[in-house]
Amino acid sequence: MIKHPLYIKAACAISPQHSFGDTPVLDPVVPSEGNRFVAVDVDYRAFINPVAIRRMSRLLKMSISAAMKCLQNAGVSMPDAIITGTGRGSAGDMQHFLKDMIMMKEEALNPTFFIQSTYNAPNGWIALQSKSTGYNQTFVHRGISLELALLDAQLLLTETGDNQNILIGSYDETTADYFVVKEKLNYWKKETVASEHLYQNNETLGTIAGEGAAFFVVSGEKEGATCSIESLEIIHQPAPTMIRNKVHEVLAANGLTTDDIDVVLCGRSGDVRFEAWYNVLEDFTTQTIAGFKHLCGEYETTSGFALWLAHHIFSQASVPESTILQKGDRKEIRHVLIINHFILDTVSITLLRG
Amino acid sequence: MEKIVVSSVGILSALGCGMHQNIQALLQKKSGLHFPVHLQSVHAQEFLLGEVNFSNEEMAMLVGLQENMQGLTRTTLLSLVALQELMGKIDRALLRDEPVALINASTVGGMCSVEDHYLDFIEPGKRGDFIQYINSSDCGDSTERAARYFGLKPLMATISTACSSSANAVIMGARLIQQGVVKRAICGGTDALCRFTLNGFNSLKNVDKGPCRPFDQTRFGLNLGEGAGYLLLEKEEDAKARGAEILAYLGGYANSNDAYHPTAPSPDGAGAFRTMEQALKHAKLQPEDISYINAHGTATINNDAAEGLAIQQLFAEKVPYFSSTKAFTGHTLAAAGAIEAIFSIISLQQQAVFANLNFTTPMEELSITPVTDTLENVPVQHVMSNSFGFGGNNVSLIFSK
Repeated sequence: MIKHPLYIKAACAISPQHSFGDTPVLDPVVPSEGNRFVAVDVDYRAFINPVAIRRMSRLLKMSISAAMKCLQNAGVSMPDAIITGTGRGSAGDMQHFLKDMIMMKEEALNPTFFIQSTYNAPNGWIALQSKSTGYNQTFVHRGISLELALLDAQLLLTETGDNQNILIGSYDETTADYFVVKEKLNYWKKETVASEHLYQNNETLGTIAGEGAAFFVVSGEKEGATCSIESLEIIHQPAPTMIRNKVHEVLAANGLTTDDIDVVLCGRSGDVRFEAWYNVLEDFTTQTIAGFKHLCGEYETTSGFALWLAHHIFSQASVPESTILQKGDRKEIRHVLIINHFILDTVSITLLRG
Repeated sequence: MEKIVVSSVGILSALGCGMHQNIQALLQKKSGLHFPVHLQSVHAQEFLLGEVNFSNEEMAMLVGLQENMQGLTRTTLLSLVALQELMGKIDRALLRDEPVALINASTVGGMCSVEDHYLDFIEPGKRGDFIQYINSSDCGDSTERAARYFGLKPLMATISTACSSSANAVIMGARLIQQGVVKRAICGGTDALCRFTLNGFNSLKNVDKGPCRPFDQTRFGLNLGEGAGYLLLEKEEDAKARGAEILAYLGGYANSNDAYHPTAPSPDGAGAFRTMEQALKHAKLQPEDISYINAHGTATINNDAAEGLAIQQLFAEKVPYFSSTKAFTGHTLAAAGAIEAIFSIISLQQQAVFANLNFTTPMEELSITPVTDTLENVPVQHVMSNSFGFGGNNVSLIFSK
């Protein structure tokens, strides 16, 4: 939408995989259980005050820890702005308060669950912990929540100048309730699928549920950055041709062709309804094509996991074997393209440069 | 920077449907608080609420959707009715032909419907009519439905920062226009009364059973309300080029964070002070330029103390007229920022400031008091509108003649 580059100085993810950096990354690969992924807990006490942590939901702990670790990795103690995207925020707290309210007939309710159910609760905590009094924003728009946060960061850097450090994050959790509710809309496969075989099971409805938190420190300055987001596009109610055209449009706008792309990260999920959205992958015959939803599952802000993975690929200058769907012939990784979708009719296209 | 103007608005609140009814109620000091008729709650007859005087069916009729209410929640209906007023004042072809953003805000999405069906939602294998409401639990549901209904594209976004949500939507829209991402932006928010929110605030013990008393020593808490409000923003030159009436200028704004506590504001008002100061700086104005402050003024113990101290400190010897209109509408949460932005515009247009209803006793910690009567024929040049939310999310907007 706009062209201001976002230089990524650090990335940190809590996900169903070993992605936090305290153990070998993506090794071993953790499989889903019963078509559902659960994020690997980290030592949250290393990042959160022990008194506060007792009443915190898992989502709060995940998002605050990922945020604080990301700031540490970037060597930034106080970000100039905090911008997040989430599909469902602290869904667990919201469900907890809602069920208590129904069961207890609106009497004697615990306010903690209500307070923490606010979508921007992680933002408030992160601001408090990092003493960041700057711009603070939370987007809650289904599958494009993180993308809107990135767009906002582009606007902000244009306004404030490039030397700002912006903390960007995404967070979503899949609770047992959510899994049951969305099963009624065919979000998940009826047959149990082994996550490593997700892409072969692409003739039925549904996918595997997932969750996670991913945070990034971005700036307008190149120094100390691993890679940059050069372009970001959102498509509503897409058709396969629209997606294909938009991909080529993005490349052309950046003076690139498909040849310049070295790795494509695709959000294929094994759901038959969306396989055709990835027809554009046919245009990338000599590039490495990698998947990520067999590692993180499906949720509104999987783009956070994808962006973390892209950052990891640039920093290692290699693509993890466990993600590769098609092995390319490139020796160097200069450009990575992320093509991702969410079930509720959105696609995003992100171009990164190393 | 080119000036951003407000060239159309739409509003639905407990004061009524549309600008005319809201203006009349504000000028005549008629509060919209009453015991709810539409909200089903065991507490319905305990709490005065700012409920909108329409049933869902009545709202659906107003927008011609009475035959097709599939998955439509009260949150979305409030939004559609308010947007219809805004859209009625502009050429819809213009909006179809040129890029527009819908920046919407909500705190709990379609919770008003979700809470009626939640046990069905989570019962494994259970199917039924309730399935139509599953996706309404997303805050973005009303945004997507409204964008489709009115044909708004290419950009839509939903913001949720608690009680400052739609004030943030206004800021986001202005910035998208300034940087040329879209030519126009429709910005605002919607929230429907629901048991979830009423019980949530009640569990925090800050809901007043009687009419709320903002900035009063005897205040106890807030009254909840519902509604929707939207502002059409565009560049001054674009509004002029199409011969549009300019309702107000968005002179400046600021968003900053308290970084003090998950829900409570810093007691000395440091966060509110910083936000108001930054908004003045952004608008290139001095404190004495502000004619009226439409305060956040929820009538909770914490907010009014912090906000009052901040106003007192920032405006010092020259504290302008200030009042909270929450006792008119109730606290409409994600809609409050936009509804009160529209009240600020009404203040500029009518050259009037609105009564802080139910005020009797000055607060001990403040030397300032709100305006207790609606005053007409007052010179109003610049109005500041404050919205402060959980998570320390503070926003100040400044509208100018």
